[in-house]
Amino acid sequence: MKKTFLILAAAAVASAIGFAQSSSARQQLARGREAWDQRLTKTAIEAVQEATRDPATAAEAHELLGIIYAFKGWQQDNVFPGFHDEPAYREKALAELQAALKADPRRFTARQAQIVAEGFAAADRVDPMLRRPAITLLDAQIERGRSPDVPIGELIETLQTRMKAQADATPYFAGAQVLIDRGEYNNAITLAEHGVPVAERFIQENLGAFQMEGKAEGALMRSRAQAADIVGWALYMKKDYAGAATKLEEAERLYRGDDFNNQFHLAELARAQKQSDRAREHYLDALSLTAGPPAVRERATEELAKLYAAGKKKSKPFKAWLDAQLIARQNDRKKADLKSRLDTPLPKLNLTTLDGKPYDTSSLQGKVLLLNFFASW
Amino acid sequence: MPHLKTVYAKFQNDPNVAFLLVSIDDDSKRLERYLDEMKFPFTVLRASSAEMQRAMGFNDLPSTFYVDRKGIVRYQILGFEAHGDSDARVAWYIDQLKHGKTH
Repeated sequence: MKKTFLILAAAAVASAIGFAQSSSARQQLARGREAWDQRLTKTAIEAVQEATRDPATAAEAHELLGIIYAFKGWQQDNVFPGFHDEPAYREKALAELQAALKADPRRFTARQAQIVAEGFAAADRVDPMLRRPAITLLDAQIERGRSPDVPIGELIETLQTRMKAQADATPYFAGAQVLIDRGEYNNAITLAEHGVPVAERFIQENLGAFQMEGKAEGALMRSRAQAADIVGWALYMKKDYAGAATKLEEAERLYRGDDFNNQFHLAELARAQKQSDRAREHYLDALSLTAGPPAVRERATEELAKLYAAGKKKSKPFKAWLDAQLIARQNDRKKADLKSRLDTPLPKLNLTTLDGKPYDTSSLQGKVLLLNFFASW
Repeated sequence: MPHLKTVYAKFQNDPNVAFLLVSIDDDSKRLERYLDEMKFPFTVLRASSAEMQRAMGFNDLPSTFYVDRKGIVRYQILGFEAHGDSDARVAWYIDQLKHGKTH
């Protein structure tokens, strides 16, 4: 009984809101208000817009539109989980409330709504980053250090000024990257390595800002990963391939294999060492991540095309093969993110014994197996 | 990790139970030193970190999977579990699967 009643009630609301077109402005406004009470914003806006055209209801209708737009522009994010504010409505909200006051300057509720909306707008104009202009300027100056016109001494001086100005690790990591571009590999390595304790200190000092222990841990891991990747890349540039491999793989482990630059660096290293298969895998892994500057992505694609042309199996044109590979990788990543391995067969794993011989888990069939993944670090 | 040795003592003569440790270390020397120190009485293998993370869906260490006699993964402990790394807990998982219980 109760269920039937609810369905009937729902149908009644829908028809009341749905079938009242081509009526007077007063009726439109009432219909709009009813829809707004239900938070059916599309229907509400349509109805109330009609009511703005009649001078008798204009002030009230503009005010209501202003309130609805303010809700969409600034508030709905906090009211309905999954909703996001629609900033495009913010200007409109202010304009509607102004129009309401123009139509009726004594309209007290419209004036109140305007004060609230202006308060929201004023809060928006406060830059939440609160980046100090001096820091922004110094960061830009570090970037300009990529140009060979800037003497190295001057670049180092800029870095030192930036380090004293704010205690985050940006000058260390960004600076190290610039130094690699300038061919200053040893300085880059020293700088990146010093960046790790600096990042740790900065995170510890601001631990509460990360809200969750896991997030702070993630930030720590990323700074360690960034340092390892930069050091590895500098070693690669110095043609110390063994050293580069150690550091780049350490970064890969810390990044859990999903950093564009790191995968690109690993690919370049494998290519330099003439390991075509590994190079191809890393280029594909890099491109399947949606990051990386366009120029570097282009270079990765070119190198892949060369490897593909030199390879044996060519069932498809390069572009078709690449697209299929990237989609497969993205799907794998999604699956790995979403699905646990519970209640699925143990997949075939590429394992080796300590002396490098392949090991097949099917030799353990019929036994209960404890499979533990660990690392000595 | 030492708790695995304790649990293993209970199962080492059981033909229906196997322990497999997989190191995802890159640094062979470091792993060697660690294994010298730990002297694990069971098989230790090596694998690529990225590959194993993708295949088994873990992103923390140590991660332990319990596989039943038909080869189906039945329990997974990703990272250190609050009270799960006691030898009693590990033995419990194994006993469950030995006696054909799944969850």
